[in-house]
This record gives sequence, C-alpha cells and structure tokens, in this order.
Amino acid sequence: MDFTFAPEHVALRRMIREFAKNEVAPIAAEIDREGRVPFETLKKLAQIGLLGVCFPQKYGGMGAGETGYCILMEELGRICTSTATNVGAHIGIGAMSIYLDGTEEQKQKYLMPLARGAKIGAFVLTEADAGSDAAAIRTRAVRDGNEWIINGTKTFNTNGSFAEIVTVMTVTDPTLGAHGGMTAFIVEAGTPGFKVGTHENKMGIRGSSTAELVFEDVRVPHENVLGKVGEGFISFMKTLDMGRLTLGAACLGGAEAALEASIHWAKTRKQFGAPLAHKQSVQWMIADMATEIEALRSLVYRVAWMVDTGQSFTQLAAMCKMYGSEVASRAIDTALQIHGGLGYSRDYPVERNFRDARIAEIFEGTNEIQRIVIASNIFRQHGVRIRP
Amino acid sequence: MQIVVILGQVLDPSGIVVKGKAGRIFVNREEYVLQPADKCALEAALRIKDTTNAKVMALPRGPLPNDDVLRQALAMGADRAVYLTTRRVANPPYGDAVMADVLAAAVEKLGGADLLLTGATTLDTGQGQLGPRLAEALGWPQIVGAWQVASRRVSESAGGRVEAVLQRAGNYVTVEADLPAVVTVLPGALKPRYPDGVRLINVYRAEDAVERWDVSDLVDEASLQPLLEKRGQDFPPERELGVRLSGTPEEMAQALADALRERVSR
Amino acid sequence: MDMSYLDLLMAQQEEVTEAEGGGGVWVVADLANGTVAPVTLEALGAARTLADALGAYVYGVLLGDGVSDGSTALTTSLAQTLYQAGADGVRVADHPSLARFALEPYLAVLAGLFEAEQPEVVLFGATGAGQELAARLAQRLGGGLIEHVTAVRLDEATRTVEATFPIYGGEYSEIAACPEARPQFLTIEPRAFPAPFIDTYRQGEPTMIEVDPVEPAVRVLGPADDFEPPALPLAQAPVIVAAGRQAGDFELVHQLAAALGGRVAGDRGARDAGWIGPQQVVDVRGVTVAPQVYVAVGIRGDTFHDAAIAESKFIAAIHPDPDAPIFQVADLCLEAEPAEVLPALLEALEK
Repeated sequence: MDFTFAPEHVALRRMIREFAKNEVAPIAAEIDREGRVPFETLKKLAQIGLLGVCFPQKYGGMGAGETGYCILMEELGRICTSTATNVGAHIGIGAMSIYLDGTEEQKQKYLMPLARGAKIGAFVLTEADAGSDAAAIRTRAVRDGNEWIINGTKTFNTNGSFAEIVTVMTVTDPTLGAHGGMTAFIVEAGTPGFKVGTHENKMGIRGSSTAELVFEDVRVPHENVLGKVGEGFISFMKTLDMGRLTLGAACLGGAEAALEASIHWAKTRKQFGAPLAHKQSVQWMIADMATEIEALRSLVYRVAWMVDTGQSFTQLAAMCKMYGSEVASRAIDTALQIHGGLGYSRDYPVERNFRDARIAEIFEGTNEIQRIVIASNIFRQHGVRIRP
Repeated sequence: MQIVVILGQVLDPSGIVVKGKAGRIFVNREEYVLQPADKCALEAALRIKDTTNAKVMALPRGPLPNDDVLRQALAMGADRAVYLTTRRVANPPYGDAVMADVLAAAVEKLGGADLLLTGATTLDTGQGQLGPRLAEALGWPQIVGAWQVASRRVSESAGGRVEAVLQRAGNYVTVEADLPAVVTVLPGALKPRYPDGVRLINVYRAEDAVERWDVSDLVDEASLQPLLEKRGQDFPPERELGVRLSGTPEEMAQALADALRERVSR
Repeated sequence: MDMSYLDLLMAQQEEVTEAEGGGGVWVVADLANGTVAPVTLEALGAARTLADALGAYVYGVLLGDGVSDGSTALTTSLAQTLYQAGADGVRVADHPSLARFALEPYLAVLAGLFEAEQPEVVLFGATGAGQELAARLAQRLGGGLIEHVTAVRLDEATRTVEATFPIYGGEYSEIAACPEARPQFLTIEPRAFPAPFIDTYRQGEPTMIEVDPVEPAVRVLGPADDFEPPALPLAQAPVIVAAGRQAGDFELVHQLAAALGGRVAGDRGARDAGWIGPQQVVDVRGVTVAPQVYVAVGIRGDTFHDAAIAESKFIAAIHPDPDAPIFQVADLCLEAEPAEVLPALLEALEK
C-alpha cells in the first residue's frame, strides 16, 4: 500500500495553500461580516483552472481527479468555509451533475464553461416541504411539444442566485414518485420566468449565497433534459454521493484549522504560571482532536482513491460526510473552549469557524439521512432490505 | 528573444527552529521552496513573455537534490527547463564561483540567450554573487537589484535593450543596458503568478518534462574546485528579556537610541 | 599630569611610510555625501586586525571625481581619513568617469590595480556598489567571495580569513573561508564591526592611479517617477512604533516612527483614543506583526497584545508602571513616562 500522494497532487496542494493564504485568508472575515460572495476569488480560481479541478482536460477541466478536488476543498476549508461552500456547490454538485449524466453535446455546451470557470453552476433540489424527503418535491415540468414548462419554488439553494447554469430537479409524473417520476433539467440564468427570490439570513457561511429560486412558466428545450426523462432521482443520488466525499474533505480542512489554532493558543496562553499546553485537560482535548482528524484524513483520501480508480463508494462517501461534519463540529467546539473568552470575540476567527461548521451536519443530506444510507447499504449486503 | 532564468531552492525557514543554547538547528518540517528572489526573477521573465514572443528557459542554481523548482517554472509558464546532474556527489564543489562557469557553459549549450534573470539574493545565505559572477563569465553587463524589468526593442537594426528600475541612494531610477545582459531581481519586487492548473498537473505527470544534462557535458567536471569551504556555525546569544535601563529619562533615552541605531538602517 | 607635555608628544605627527606593493589587506572605500562612508571605516578597522595578524599592510582605495584635488580641503581629507583610520597606503583614482559609481569604469581601475598588486584580502562595504564590484572582481581574478560578513578571524597557519555571515536574516550564522584562492574578497556588513580609532595625527601621501576611461554599460535614464514600490502590509513591516493609552503626545510617536523609518501602530487603547484605525491595532484580534524592531510607547501589555508581537526580533518598551506586563516580553525596558523619554530619544537619534 502506498499512502503517498502523487507528485502532481503534492504540487497542487502547495499551489492551493499559497493561493488560500494570499487570496482567501485576507478577506475571510470581511466577507462574513458583510455577507457577500467573494466573486473576485471565484474569478482568480477560474483563471488558474481550479473551478474544474476534477474534470477531464478534454472538458476544460484540470484532470486532477477526485483526489485533486478533495485537496482543493481541504485547503479552502482550512481557511474559509464560505469560499469552500461556493466552490463546492459549483464543482461538486452543479457541474458534477452534468459530468455524470450529460450527453456529449451537453458536456460541450455546459460542462466546458463550468469547468473553465467562465460560468458558475448550481444544483437545485430542495424545496420548503422537501428537504430530507427529497422525493417529495413538487416543482413540476410539463411537456409542451419540443419544450418543457417548469413551475415551482426551490429553497435554501447555494449559488443559485448568481449561477449562470443550474441543474433543476422536477417532477414529471406525480403518480410515479421517485421511481420514474422525476427528471433533471439544465436551465440557464436569464431564461424568462427563472427568478431569484428571498436570500436567507444565515448563522454561518455568510460569505455564500443561499436563496429561493422561483420558476414561473420557465421554458427549456427538450435537449436540456439531463439524463433520461423519469430517471432524475437516480441522477441526483449519484451527484449527491460525489458531493458528500468532498464535503468531508472541506470538514477535514476546518477541523485541521481548529487544531492548529488550539495548539497555537495552548502554547501562547499562560494561566497559573504555565502555558495551557501543560494542563492535562487541554492535552487530552488536543490528543482527541488530532486522532479524529487523522482518522478522517485517512477515510477521505482512501475514498477519493476509490472514486479515482472506479470503485463503488456510496456507503463510504456517506461516512465521510457524516463523520467529517461531526469531527469538524467537535473540533471547533473544543477549540472554542480552549480559546476561552478570546474564542467568543467576533474579532478572532474561532467564532466565525464555529458558526460556519455547524451547517455541515445539516446540508448535503442531513447526518440522519447519511446514517440511513450507511445502514441500508450494510444490511443490504447482508440480505436485508430496510423498509423506509 | 531567449530569456534564461536561474532558479534555486531553499529550506523553508518556518519549518526550522534554531536553539542557540544547544548550538543546533532542528528541522521540524523539511520543506523546500523556490528561492523567493528567483521566483520574482521568473515572474519578471514571464511578464516579458506575456507581451513579446520571448521564450523562457529555466536553469538550476546548481545540481539540486530534485527537479521540483524546475517543474514549478514549467508550470508557471517557462518553455524549457534543464536539470543538472553530477557525478561529484562525494565532495560537491558547487559554490557560486564554480556554478558561474558551469551555467555560462549551459547558456552556450542552450544556444545563447538575450537576457538572463536571477534573484538578487538568497533567502538562506544572503549571498547575491551568482548573478554578477555569471555576468562576468559571460562578459555581459549587469543590472543588480531590480524592482522592475522590461525589454525594449529599439529598432530593426539595433539589438534589444533591457530597462529596469533600481534604487540608488534612496531614490528610484530607471536604467537601461544593451542586450545581452544579466539582471538580478529583488525578493518581493513582483507578485509571482500562480501556475496554471492544467500545466501543473501535466508537468508533474510527465516524467520527462524537465531535460537532464550532466555537468560533465558542460565543463571538465573532474577538475572543478570549490573556492569556499564551511568552517562552522555561530549562534546569536540567548535573548535576554526584561533588561531594565537605569538613570534619568535622558540617559535611558540615550541608551535606547544607541540600541535602536544598531538595529535600524537609516 | 602635565597637559602641555602630552600635547607636545602628540603633536609629533606620525608620517606613514608609504607601504610597498604586493599582498596586503585592501579596502575599497565607499563614499557617501562626499565623505568616507562609516562602513568603510569599520572595514578599515577589520582590515587592521587582519593585517596585524598576517604581518601585512593595510591599503585603502579611493575612486571618484575630484577626490584628490588639493585645492579643496574637503576632498584632500578623504585620503587622509583613510590614513587616520589605519591605512598604511592609499591609492587614488581621480577621473570624471568615476564621478558616480558605474561598474565598468570602476572595475577597470580595480581589476588593473589588483592584478598588479596581488592582494591577499580585499574588503568592500556591503553596499550596492560594493556587492557588484566584489562579485565581478572575484570572478575575474579567480578569488573567493563571502558577502555580508559580520565577524572575521584569521587562520594564521594558512593565512585564511574565516568570515561569519548571517543565515535566514540572522537566525544563526555560518563561518566560511577561502583556503586557497586569492584574493579573498569580503563585503563587510554595516554596523557589524566597531568604528576604528581615528588617529588624527596620522597622515600620508596617496599614490595616484592612471585611469583609462571606460564607458559604463548601464546607462541611467532618469528618476523612475511612475514607479510605486509594492505596498508592505503592517504584518511585514520591519520597524514598528506602537502607542498605548499611556503614550502621551501621539505626535511624538509619529516623529519617532519617522526617525526610524518605521510604521505607526498601537494597541486597543490607542484605537479607543482615536489615534489609530482598526487596521493598525496590534493584537491577536487585530494584526499580528513580526518586525525587526518594535517600540512600545505607553503600552501596558497583556496576553492578547503580547502574543501578537511574539515574533519580533527586538522589543523596547516605555511605560511608567514598573509592573507593566509588557516588561516581561521586552528586551529593553524603560520605566518612565513616554513624555519624558521621547523628546530626549528623538534628539539622541538625530545626532
């Protein structure tokens, strides 16, 4: 077993780390405070090809595979969760859905500009009454000659308010539900009837955009059906699987940042005549944090390797997301405790990371759903079909 | 136009801890980075390439342990990069004086050059002599310590010129020299670009992206003699904190002024 | 003691017998504002130490325009300054082409001189001109060069100079030597060596060098008016003067920063007092700095401020309270009111 990264991945990580330090870190507090999306960062990422990191070079991507994408998310997650969220929604589910299910024409027309970062993507699924119960979406697509007419309202969407190319999940046959009744469409911004609704006022990741999207008689050509009519559910399950792994990588970065900050403060802060590092309670906190991070790192990159070598990974990707989000939450919570009052100050990054970390247990499939996915897979391998 | 850039690597100082009392240097994280001044020199070369049809070639400051900095140069946009191998591993003679001759021969083997750029100083040893030594070995004019570098084509008949901004006696002046010339660039003078992602991946995946030459193909390697030898290390005294000055405020001010004058160049 | 007898003794001026050529420790002078630069005097001091151990002579070299013109008292004294600082012989190249430093004209003179004289050691100040000349001469004459030297020691057996120079900006130093190649070139770091004793009664007759004018290859076009050097963030500033609540007159803090060529900053107290903006607050909740020199004026200090200056190379603190926490982390502590110290400090720095 060779646990080393390939030379191109080592070089990639070094480049991204430099980028994150120089371009992302200086504005991380500002974009959170102002609640604005750092478009300038997205442009800089696009210029060096990072917004297509995992897609093949023939589609305008960088060809670094899932491993390269996990490295990007880890290094961004270490510095700014908002930026990692913007990037993850674009690459991991927006462009990814077209990569997994698009026809060659669709890849040329839509994936290429997304991979080059010339356009930003988003993946539109969730509705007010359909979160974990994704199959309960009500956005309707009705065929009219060579076009489809989409009507509905989507909620809690990342990037949708400024993305140029979105993948929308609709119901095309209400009687069939998840199996045969859902279809995905590629919709371009600017299509009449496609509007941006209310922006959410969030606890964390305030440097990312979460908004309602409204579809009022939005007409899309039949060529924009992504995958096959009626097979939307399968389509989005595949996409979300991929997204889970890389969210785990972003959580890994966040947890590492919490650990580094904790070590630095434990060395610096003196109480009762000695640095905190000499207190056993703090030592145990650091040891537990570091161990969980090592375990998570091994998990994330092993699954990235499995994806890159064509192996099946659904159950393990769900583990990455579930474990990663919980490790990150525990790590930043412990970091906050170690920093004491300083950690509670809005002038110090710990409190922003604390607010930012919590969402990971909720979005991209709640951890409850992840556990169901894991358990279902396990039992199915043992011959038991879990009743939903 | 052919531009040659000389690149070196240095141990990242943030990974080392110097313990003066023990007289030892502890390397906690052994990571090598491109010499910052050399990276600025490479950026200067690439900026000239951006606006002309210049070709940029990267050579190493010596036989390096690996070709990573040369791959970085290719990823950032250099057209060619050459790695130097050597059989003199046991007692490597490669100081700046020897390398000036080796690199001059390498430039000749590349087919000559119009402009040669390198860093004005090294991060670790603080030595800036390679550029001028190389200029002497090539017999070219030298511009040392540039903040900015640009090439000018004067006319069809005349050759090109290089223009640079330097600091002389506290003022910034523009100077020019006829090509071919050597220019050394200050660290922090330019913000280096990030490598293009696709180029990065492809360069690091291609085993033969960097050409390999042996020093013996350039000079008579067996007869190379280093001029300098290491004689040891010295550590600064332990920092004494909390030294209280005594006397009147005027006397304390005088003592502080003396201490400051020693440390601040004005 | 009978002062007039002493005066009599010292009035017997020492006439230096001009040393004959060959070998020796040579110092090429840097001129600044028409006088011999301090680094050249420091180099002469170092040269004297080496020459005494080698049993050799110290020579100084002056290049310029009007540096030997006997009609103006100022310029004649340039050569005499070198004698007074310890040179046994001085060579002067006086020519309009040498008015300002340019590589090829200076190189032609020095290369010819050193080829004829065959020095054992040649010292330059580690100035821009010194670095350019030393490296080029070393390559031309086949000598070794060590730059930014902060200490020297002679290995008498091999007549080799062991030179100490800083690594990573001074984290530690390495010692190198050039055992065989000659001349041994060194560039001397300013303020690293003590100024030598200036013996005002020492004088000599410099030897003029013939100058064949050579065109410089680098032409100065003019001032670079449009050039803006890249802005340095506070976190990377090499010298910082920071004010705290007890700083008193903030204008003096500004003047101190200007005198040291540094940046103005402060702690949270200074921000509350409206003296500085939020981008200048030195605190873990603000900017973390790592300057060569940090002067804390009226800052009491606490974990959050002190952690933000932990990487500074040298910290001086002025505060009236002897128990101020800043004194635990400062190198130099002045228990005094800033209002009493700063005016005297500014005056002392001006000298």
